[in-house]
Amino acid sequence: MKTAIRKQMTIHPEVMDVLNEQVALEMHASASYLAMASWCDQRDLVNSKAFFYKQAEEEREHGMKIFNFINDAGGAAVSPAIPIVNNEFESLQAIYETSLDQEIQVTQSIYKCFKQARKVDDFASEVFLQWFVNEQVEEEDTVRSILGVFELMGDMPLKMIDERLPTE
Amino acid sequence: MSVFTDIQFSTQLQKVTFCKYLLILDNKRISLTFPQLLQLRYKVKEHTTCVNLEQTINNHNFVLLPIADRQHLVFLEIPKLLDLKEELECYFYSF
Repeated sequence: MKTAIRKQMTIHPEVMDVLNEQVALEMHASASYLAMASWCDQRDLVNSKAFFYKQAEEEREHGMKIFNFINDAGGAAVSPAIPIVNNEFESLQAIYETSLDQEIQVTQSIYKCFKQARKVDDFASEVFLQWFVNEQVEEEDTVRSILGVFELMGDMPLKMIDERLPTE
Repeated sequence: MSVFTDIQFSTQLQKVTFCKYLLILDNKRISLTFPQLLQLRYKVKEHTTCVNLEQTINNHNFVLLPIADRQHLVFLEIPKLLDLKEELECYFYSF
């Protein structure tokens, strides 16, 4: 029995399950960033809209990376259903704060996958996930830096703040 | 008399060849490829989450499950569904 399943797939079934959940989370994050980009685009916040469009693409790429990995490792990747995405925001700062919360949620979820891979000795998945662990440090840091700008320029007009935000 | 060989389980999963599996549900015998087996595992797992199970119990008390790329449609009452879940879990347990 052990050999039967192992011969068909490299990825551990339990790791496959949490990675499929991760795909869903990344795709939801992508959709959520798209809503944020649209909010900024409608208000001509050039730097912010570019930032969120880029984030939306990046999150989708992350999801696809995991999706392909699952199938390449002999598992079954599942195309996720995207739950309802919030399209209404009270301010630009609130958007970036939501963005940071979202990134933290993704990071925690990556840790969960990592832990699961380690628990069941799925070394291939563990090594694969290392890239995501590093990537999330960068992602969180980027949003924190932007929120720092709001701390400094909180009272300035919205467009002026947007112009000061880092574009890369 | 061998006790174990005489027992007939109503839900069974067997490996036939390298890529072929056989699912026995009562009198029904369903041939499955490995991707179809993974798909079945996923569906059964979805149906047996606490939320979905409670919803099923409160509504019809059964699920209709398409199996093997929709070549078969099986009617499963809750105990049978849980039985199938157990069988699949055992099969994947010692990976």
